[in-house]
Amino acid sequence: MEGSGLADVVRMSRALADEMVEHCLQERPNEACGILAASNGDITKVFRMTNATRSPVRYALDPQEQFAAYKKLEESGWDLGGVFHSHTRTEAYPSPTDVRLASEDVPYVIVSLASDPPSIRAFRILKESLIDADGRIEEATVVVEEGEGDGPPDG
Amino acid sequence: MSVEVRIPTVFRRFTNQEAVASLEPGTIADLVAQLERRYPGIGDQLLAEDRQLHRFINVYLNDEDIRYLNKLETQVSEGDTVSLLPSVAGG
Ligand SMILES: [Zn+2]
Repeated sequence: MEGSGLADVVRMSRALADEMVEHCLQERPNEACGILAASNGDITKVFRMTNATRSPVRYALDPQEQFAAYKKLEESGWDLGGVFHSHTRTEAYPSPTDVRLASEDVPYVIVSLASDPPSIRAFRILKESLIDADGRIEEATVVVEEGEGDGPPDG
Repeated sequence: MSVEVRIPTVFRRFTNQEAVASLEPGTIADLVAQLERRYPGIGDQLLAEDRQLHRFINVYLNDEDIRYLNKLETQVSEGDTVSLLPSVAGG
């Protein structure tokens, strides 16, 4: 039953995609991470967060920042639209560690800095239970809208 | 008045998709026991075999991580909000 009925498309503006990639580039050589807010299926905001492990091969959202960001989602009436992190030297595909530690029923967006330009892919990692070490990987579609014009509102 | 426990999406399969549970005041351990009685199966998602919180669960009393309070013995009073959050990590 898990995963059914949830959108498997991550749709975001070019500006937001660039913001996410920029955060990943800035954090190199360590992995970068954060969350994506969504409203009606569209990503509305990138929350850049601290990688609490400060590692080139691991990431963990800083729990206090995560709590604050989730609170902000709720106050704004947004959904959690995805979790993102970077792979600095490997492809944009979930590592065994990503699968083992996966905990959210939302797309995991991976930004690979191994290619230029960086590639962005997204996956859901489906588990029967949060405590399972194994999960099924399903790719989600990432749509970056190139549209010009007004762009996202300030703030 | 009661205690409000906020349930993350990953656990809502145990709660018939309810996002909030209203429980009686007590310690965090008491609240986990109340959750398990109401939503069988959820307790194993929260507590490891040593009856401590799984390390991939963060629990907040209002705005504070209970790991920096009294952990499972942290007292929760009427009107408080407890939030359960999965820790988000990978490699
Ligand atoms: Zn990864």
